[in-house]
Amino acid sequence: MVLVLALGDLHVPHRAADLPPKFKSMLVPGKIQHVICTGNLCVKEVHDYLKTVCPDLHIALGEYDEETRYPETKTLTIGQFKLGVGHGHQVIPWGDLDSLAMLQRQLDVDILVTGHTHQFTAYKHEAGVVINPGSATGSYSSINYDVNPSFVLMDIDGLRVVVYVYELIDGEVKVDKIDFKKTTASST
Amino acid sequence: MDNPLSQNPDSMWGRFFKNAELERMLDQDLTRLYPEPGSYFQKPGCQGILRRVLLLWCLRHPEYGYRQGMHELLAPLLYVLHVDVERLSEVRKLYEDHFIDEFDSFSFHENDSTYKFDFKKFSDSAKDGNGLGKGSVKFSSLGELDPRIQTVVLLSDAYGAEGELGIVISKKFMEHDAYSMFDALMSGAGGAIAMAEFFSPSPFGNSHFGFPPVIEASAALYHLLSIVDSSLHGHLAELGVEPQYFALRWLRVLFGREFSLDDLLIIWDKIFSYDNTKVNKPADNVSNSTFAALSSHRGAFISAFAVSIILHLRSQVLATENATACLQRLLNFPDDIDLVKLLVKAKSLQALAIDANNSTSPMIYPGFYYRSKSVSTRGHSLSLDLTSPRTPPNVVPDSYWEEKWRDLHKEEEHEEGVIGKLHKSRKGWSERVRLRLSRTESDQSSSKVGKIQKDQKSPVRKTLLKDLASQLRSDEDTEKTVYDGDIGHQDPVEVNGQEITDKNFGSMSEPRYLSGNAESEENSSNFSDSPSPISGSNGRQNDSGKSSIASNLSINENDPGPCGTTPECSTLPISDSPDELSLKCAQNDNSLGKSTMGMKERKFLSGKFQWLWKFGRNASEGTSEKIGACEDAKACIGGSVQNIVVGSLTADGCDSSSRISEETVEQNLMGSFRNLGQSMLQNIQVIEAVFQLDRGHTGPLENSSKNGFVGQGQFTALAALEELRKISNLLSEM
Repeated sequence: MVLVLALGDLHVPHRAADLPPKFKSMLVPGKIQHVICTGNLCVKEVHDYLKTVCPDLHIALGEYDEETRYPETKTLTIGQFKLGVGHGHQVIPWGDLDSLAMLQRQLDVDILVTGHTHQFTAYKHEAGVVINPGSATGSYSSINYDVNPSFVLMDIDGLRVVVYVYELIDGEVKVDKIDFKKTTASST
Repeated sequence: MDNPLSQNPDSMWGRFFKNAELERMLDQDLTRLYPEPGSYFQKPGCQGILRRVLLLWCLRHPEYGYRQGMHELLAPLLYVLHVDVERLSEVRKLYEDHFIDEFDSFSFHENDSTYKFDFKKFSDSAKDGNGLGKGSVKFSSLGELDPRIQTVVLLSDAYGAEGELGIVISKKFMEHDAYSMFDALMSGAGGAIAMAEFFSPSPFGNSHFGFPPVIEASAALYHLLSIVDSSLHGHLAELGVEPQYFALRWLRVLFGREFSLDDLLIIWDKIFSYDNTKVNKPADNVSNSTFAALSSHRGAFISAFAVSIILHLRSQVLATENATACLQRLLNFPDDIDLVKLLVKAKSLQALAIDANNSTSPMIYPGFYYRSKSVSTRGHSLSLDLTSPRTPPNVVPDSYWEEKWRDLHKEEEHEEGVIGKLHKSRKGWSERVRLRLSRTESDQSSSKVGKIQKDQKSPVRKTLLKDLASQLRSDEDTEKTVYDGDIGHQDPVEVNGQEITDKNFGSMSEPRYLSGNAESEENSSNFSDSPSPISGSNGRQNDSGKSSIASNLSINENDPGPCGTTPECSTLPISDSPDELSLKCAQNDNSLGKSTMGMKERKFLSGKFQWLWKFGRNASEGTSEKIGACEDAKACIGGSVQNIVVGSLTADGCDSSSRISEETVEQNLMGSFRNLGQSMLQNIQVIEAVFQLDRGHTGPLENSSKNGFVGQGQFTALAALEELRKISNLLSEM
């Protein structure tokens, strides 16, 4: 029952002022154990806010981030799963599944989280999962014209991960759920 | 869609988080339970059991949730089970042969291959005839064993009279037993006291007062205290110490925090030995007067025990001057408590509690424990006095009784135009006491204090006079069935209209008396500042002495119901010594049905009154103009000497006028001497406690000369105290 929050591409303050209030009301401290951020926060205030949601924070470097000391990619292990984070602007074509799968194999992770496209996607690919949490603020994107604020919450429980995706569509929060099971135990 | 961030509390995830919170609190509490290293409760096995039992109970009773304190109720239960199981295994090791699992001396296990009892090897050894195993003691038959061992053996007999349920102690089922016991304790098993209620913040279903049950129970406690020892109750109420400040901890954990584990087990034995079923009044189920907490024997005992604890700390509590110090005393127990004495006292108070609960009717409105009213019922000779009738200064009279009280006082004010300044005497008294107490510790600003003392003096004198006057009044009207409710103007409201008129009567008689004694007052007013605090403290010490006498008397002599308990009830804050003792005598009088004693009484009273004045004046003459603690002490000493003298006189008077047999006279005399000695001791304790406070405060005095003086005064006072001690020892030995 480990809850992991994945979000990114907030672009605060350049393209958006803040998270939508409905999202903020849901993200109360104490419930979530880890936060994974794909990048492009961009300012320190957002970093601090995310720290209040959960102290265990992992951020990858996006191209507009003002704090340049974040790593380009990061891997961590939660429960039975290995997770990898990257921003995704380095992987071209942007948002392409095969290229992202390359990155996944490179990092040797079960779950890869990237962003940059401001579009939520979740693929099951080669015994692994590639997730794009979209933009948490719904900020403008040059490659995507219809952006809804969205983020992802993963519930890691043993060999099973349940992915809840929260999207703000027409002012209402819509929740969707996707189940993934790890077929083989990880060999460390 | 059910998702982890869902804000719906009933969602699966919502409940998950709530339960996680519960578990977290539970774990936190468990780590703090008896944390001494090596304690049984910190062992992982025990912690595991506690955790499971508590978690399961809380999940099954979501309306209560988990509250801190529940684990402390469960812990001793588990401890007892554990000890029993250990004892069982010890006994089993020693007396193996008797733990045979044979049904009609036919052992099953040979035929039943699935039979897996441990008894197997024991019955083997038994079958071997005289085989001795591991140095066990051999007895030929069960009957030769120590009866306690016998019980242990029989309790484990699976084929005894109760069949399989006959096994009372079993290691396998320790957890189950603990859960059942805990559940029974918390839900009250259908009785009156359900511990779980004490943890709930909302008013319980059939609570008559609309207060949370623990507040109600604390109020019941105070109610009982007010019956037993109204001066102490008054003192506590005056300091603003609401009962739930300390009673919450006592009640929620059933005194688990106040005593060591072994003592606690003794107390709990006593508590649980009482039946928990409600003791209903026959025809009055909708009465809204009874306290739920007192409506069962067990509940009454719990309250009575709490009151006996308070009484044990009496002298320390009376010496404190603010609420925090008082609470400190109440919440930090000395380690050397004589448990047996406390329990015995509690038992005696318990009957009182049940009676009180059954007989009193209304005392209900918010803040009722400040003004607990009582009804003197006609047929019931047990009447409860009005206690602690101290109204806060700026209360808005919004109820019928309040207005009545105010009317009453307005009348009295009108009557006593003689004395210039009159504050509501009750409030004035409390102010006076406060001033007196604060005076002992504050810097000696003589002018300010002097003025206050001046004011204090006259009202005190006046009230003393009034008391006496009304007492004489009441003696005249002996046809009253509720005479003891009529103790002068101090009682705010009597429910009976007749009593109100009586009081008016009484207050009207006062001017007469006052004018008679006006000159004496003037004379005394010309004395130095000291008399007033002396008499104030005098009255107070007297009062505490008397009330303790009264309470001691009631417990020691075991007077049947009304007689014995009424002196306690009729204790008033400033009732003069003659009043109370005469009251007691008058009681004996009534109980014996002699109405002619009234005349003798009055003569005696007036005689005693003179005596009191004389002593009071002597005391005031003896002291000079200094102000300080020593004066108080001396005055108190003077006062308590008076106490004794007057008391002995009264005892004599009472005994002589009541025509009982000689031995009982002797007994009464001895008893009263003993009690006087005890009361003296109590007084001394209070004085000493005040001294300790003073010493702490006279330290930072700048005025060195004053310092030196006060030191010397204290010295003489201490010497006098020693003398008193000796006297009291003598008295108590008689």
